[in-house]
Amino acid sequence: MIDILSYGLIIVGIIFWFWGTLPLIGNRSVLFKLHSLSVADTLGSMAILVGLLLKVPSEWSLLLLAIITLAIWNTVLGYVIAYCASDNSQPANK
Amino acid sequence: MDSILIAMILALLIPIYEAWQDDDIWQKILAFTSIATKTSIMMLVISVSRDDWSIGVVAVIILSVGNAGLMLMAHLIKG
Amino acid sequence: MDANTIFNLILRLTIWLLLTNNFGLLNFSIGLAIAFLLPQSKTSPVKIKDWLQVLWRILKAIPQAYIEAIQIMLRPHNQEDFVQEKIKAKRTPGLIFLDIFLITFTPKTIVTKYDERGWYEVHRVKPK
Repeated sequence: MIDILSYGLIIVGIIFWFWGTLPLIGNRSVLFKLHSLSVADTLGSMAILVGLLLKVPSEWSLLLLAIITLAIWNTVLGYVIAYCASDNSQPANK
Repeated sequence: MDSILIAMILALLIPIYEAWQDDDIWQKILAFTSIATKTSIMMLVISVSRDDWSIGVVAVIILSVGNAGLMLMAHLIKG
Repeated sequence: MDANTIFNLILRLTIWLLLTNNFGLLNFSIGLAIAFLLPQSKTSPVKIKDWLQVLWRILKAIPQAYIEAIQIMLRPHNQEDFVQEKIKAKRTPGLIFLDIFLITFTPKTIVTKYDERGWYEVHRVKPK
């Protein structure tokens, strides 16, 4: 049962990865790609890590730290890139 | 477990391709952040599948130091 | 010792214990010593009640982020726009950081600019 759940979460995470990473190739603005990347790289990776956590609960402390730091750093990096890129690409808004 | 890893490598190829083909610096940085996150998650998956936690510890340290270098670079490029 | 210092110590100790994966007495005391020795940042004091509220909002944000992710996946969100959001009065820097974090964490919205006069500039995607 737990095995199915953990593989399910990992597969959901990989689907998130593909869905959120494919728009990277298109011709959208940096900010639009950032939205889909936050689906892929933050939420998808968190789902994968929770799946791994269910698979090897004995290493919960390291995996929990990985989940927390992943969420914080990816979000902060998203904000920093949005801040730096929007200054350049949308001068009309300022 | 192997097929999961293959799927992840395929997903990793997308940002690598994007980083190669796009000339805009912000699109490149975006692709690199994606590569950085994906490889460290892959390290954790490999460490689980091989049951070798010394790889996993390295991946967790990479994740917790985060993409500080990329943030610094973004600020430098913005100028 | 105000609530903020205690909160900082607990945070550092938690990270230490999670990273070393060893909850023995010796390791616990090493972690406590390091938590004390690391330089304390000088921030304005915050009430414990505020922090509990923040923790609760973080816990609520996680399922909300997944719901928004699924919404984006099912229906194409191709419209983009900027909105301005007002910051609630009397926010300390820590709470402002958390506000920005929570807005950026959910996939539909990203803070692009924080204005010191009390505005965030938020970038959103919307369905057609």
